Amino acid sequence: MEHSENVLIIGSGVAGMEASLMLSKAGKKVTLVEKLSLIGGKTIKNEETYPNMDCSTCLVAPIQQEILQDGNITVLTSSQVTAVSGDAGDFTVKINKKAGYVDLVACLGCGMCYPVCPVELINEWEENLTNKKAIYVPCAGALPNVPVIDAEKCLHLNGTDKECNKCVEACMFGAINLDGSDESLEINAGAILVATGYDMMDISTITDLGYGKYPGVYTAMEFERLFAANGPTEGALVMRDGEKIPSSVAIIHCVGRSQSHYCSSVCCMASAKHAHFLHHKLKDAKIYNIYSDICLPDKTYQKFYEDVKAHSSQFIYQSDRDRMKITEKNGKLKIEYLDAKEKTASLDVDMVILANALRPAIGSDELGKILGINHDKFGFVEAQPFNIGTVVTSKSGVFVAGCAEGPKDIQSSVIQSEAAVAEIMSLLNS
Amino acid sequence: MSDKIGIYVCECGPNIASKVDIDKILEEVSNLEDFKDVELVVKNHKLLCSVDGKKFLENEINENNLTHLVCAACSPRDHDTTFINVCKKTELNPYMYQMVNIREQCAWIIPDKEEATEKAIRIIHAGMDRVLYQQPLEEKQLDSNPDVLIIGGGIAGMEAALKLASKDRMVFLIEKTDELGGKSAKLNQLLPRQGVNLNILHQKLSNIKSNKYIKVFINTELASIIGFLGNFEIVIKDVNDSENTTELLAGAVVVATGFELLDATTLNKYKISKDDEVYNALEIEEMISKNGKEPQKVAVIHCVGRSEVGYCSKTCCNYLLKISKMLKEQSSKIEVVELFKHLCLPNKQDEAFFKQVKDKDVKFIRIKDVNVSGTSIELTDISDAKQKLDVDMIILGTAMIPTKETKYLAEELKVELDEMGFYQEAHLKINPISTNTDGVFVVGGAHGPTGISESMLQAQAAAGKILTQLIPGQKIIPEVKVSEILEAYCTGCKTCLDVCGFGAIYFDEDKGISVVNEAICRGCGNCVGSCPSGSIRTRHFTNPQLYQEVKEALR
Repeated sequence: MEHSENVLIIGSGVAGMEASLMLSKAGKKVTLVEKLSLIGGKTIKNEETYPNMDCSTCLVAPIQQEILQDGNITVLTSSQVTAVSGDAGDFTVKINKKAGYVDLVACLGCGMCYPVCPVELINEWEENLTNKKAIYVPCAGALPNVPVIDAEKCLHLNGTDKECNKCVEACMFGAINLDGSDESLEINAGAILVATGYDMMDISTITDLGYGKYPGVYTAMEFERLFAANGPTEGALVMRDGEKIPSSVAIIHCVGRSQSHYCSSVCCMASAKHAHFLHHKLKDAKIYNIYSDICLPDKTYQKFYEDVKAHSSQFIYQSDRDRMKITEKNGKLKIEYLDAKEKTASLDVDMVILANALRPAIGSDELGKILGINHDKFGFVEAQPFNIGTVVTSKSGVFVAGCAEGPKDIQSSVIQSEAAVAEIMSLLNS
Repeated sequence: MSDKIGIYVCECGPNIASKVDIDKILEEVSNLEDFKDVELVVKNHKLLCSVDGKKFLENEINENNLTHLVCAACSPRDHDTTFINVCKKTELNPYMYQMVNIREQCAWIIPDKEEATEKAIRIIHAGMDRVLYQQPLEEKQLDSNPDVLIIGGGIAGMEAALKLASKDRMVFLIEKTDELGGKSAKLNQLLPRQGVNLNILHQKLSNIKSNKYIKVFINTELASIIGFLGNFEIVIKDVNDSENTTELLAGAVVVATGFELLDATTLNKYKISKDDEVYNALEIEEMISKNGKEPQKVAVIHCVGRSEVGYCSKTCCNYLLKISKMLKEQSSKIEVVELFKHLCLPNKQDEAFFKQVKDKDVKFIRIKDVNVSGTSIELTDISDAKQKLDVDMIILGTAMIPTKETKYLAEELKVELDEMGFYQEAHLKINPISTNTDGVFVVGGAHGPTGISESMLQAQAAAGKILTQLIPGQKIIPEVKVSEILEAYCTGCKTCLDVCGFGAIYFDEDKGISVVNEAICRGCGNCVGSCPSGSIRTRHFTNPQLYQEVKEALR
């Protein structure tokens, strides 16, 4: 049978990028579809990765660059798969590419267009910790370094002020065209890889922990951006009021685990890393990790954890993770929990970081229906039993890798992606 | 042909043009005293990386018959490849081109226009000095062998063999014992996920037997290996008769040599002898399957030897839960208590399995410390309470450790070991299956503690790497910017052999000098710095080239 030599990869995190480059090197054509305007996935939200504290940008930027310059890989940002028909070896895929209004080739990313835009919006990519304009890149160093326009908020495009052409006038390359419109593309693909990753569980519903109520309570991802040099505070660990520097911080493990019914497997190390960050930026701050089980599933992890425990943070055991309560009094957060003897104990801190559970990426249900693949009871893509392959989905020709299949760390995502490539190569060569 | 250097200054729209004086750069670069005897073409362009810009550059190279090219533009990270690709369309060898970064290194960081212009001129001058010393380099194409050697016939090795073998690719699977199957073959049942049972092992064994593209060698181990991705020369030998050897050729190697369990009798806190009713997890599997005698009270101890080895073996929690469940299913009268510090349940299905075991009336005690003497246990629990337990049988979740032959194999394969004694990956995060030797991949327990499904996944990942890197009939293009040793100056001191992390240098005993295997060398330059006689240089980064550039830049 003649197979299409093109592979559709959905999601441009570490898993999607690894598979794209491997397939390209083998001479296959790849269409890499990413719903955001930048590639790189969640990894680039981290300043450094555990356990070796490798700078994330240094790890990922060369890979992103290689992808963008690779002649075999077509990168479609701000794009989503809308329909799939056909079978393994010969899928027809419809993709909607949202109008970005900025020409990817003509734009150099000089940044002259944002300051002139009169619209201020919340920057969701920065975990709502800062603002952006209606024409924006989500963060400094975004790749491709080309802004997009939020059509609903742009005064010209939403009809509020048809005369507003400020960004167009500011662009010296004529790269901005406000007449753009969404594009419908149709491609042929021999195989499909789902690498749509994860999102963080919304924990504002766990009211006892006070997230959304007390400004001193942060999620792990908010803290990650707060620490990042290209983040909203350029890495300064100041709290939401823009002034206060915390002198005591508690990191709470396993937040939302009882609701998700699985261990997210990355949070213990991420929390240890956060303690390490805090200790190195705020030498005198008191740092606590409150845990119920420590999960360190890689040969390299325990050493890092022991090091953090020895130098950066006190680790406190709580015997029931569902009995914690956080309240605020006079600007201090009070954490009440059950200790090892199952007695109530408490701790007063300035800042709380909630290490919340990973969940399937928002929109993965819908995508699953379009692709015709099954999800498990948690909402992750259901892979076949491991004797058949944990990258094989319920639909022939559609494969899965990375956190789309379940929570996992970077290297496990990369390994799963490489395994998916083996299946894809076998299918295309058969 | 006399030298003719083309120097092209990119304005990058206003990015460079508004921050430096382009006219002054063109003027001064055209009239450099050092280059008064060299023919120069000096021009600017609005945007060299654009479609127009690339066409312009291509025409300039062709029409002017340039012998050297300098592009003064942005960071090489952005557009080095762009300009190399332009060169490749022309007669100009891409190694006769040099990029100078006047955007990130001048325009964007120096507020004063005059100063930025001065620096731009100076680093362009440095680039011109360097480019004159550059040499054309030609890429070589080598034939490659698509066949694969797999060391270790456990679940990972078998999986890799089945994924790789095809009519275009032979697989040689060597196993040191007298049967395939590895540790998995000892298991009574697999972790009850998604209804998989032990039949998978039998299925794989029969698939391997019937696959004519897989050649299995039992009672066999590696004797020696030399070579590089696409071309390894391998000698294997009979375990019982080291004179009995076979030579093989292959293009890649998958190391799947598995793990061992730590011997708990070596631990201070475990005063146990071989006669005590104390078993490690693999022994108990065999015993249950033999329907051995039935104990009344069993303690299952987690994390045995964990602090000594310094890592979590990550499969033991699930595994010990499974054993408790099996004991309870054999007889609900058996009292089972699990002594643990932390439960590590990192897969999405694990928590539900834990609940299942808990519901079987298995007792769990979270401990801080434990001492074992025979089948007597003294423990301190998480609330600091002390307890004594006397049981009929103890089952130990002992740490998974590297196998004994790991060190020898690592030396043969020129793969580094990590501080725990497992094989070291090329990069823990982004290249976890590959090693520092191209074409050698490590999977399963050899790589670090892994369960069965993860071992199989890693084996598939290695297959993915090999299927995309080693395509039957495709040539291999080795790096050209590699080290070379000048025979006349080499004193044969062998210092370079020690510093090479890739095993790319060997010693020619006849000539008494070191020689670089260019197919393996990555051009890192370690050997250059270490050579006491200065006889090694890395192509495209020779001392004169670097000196020319640095001398002018630092003037």
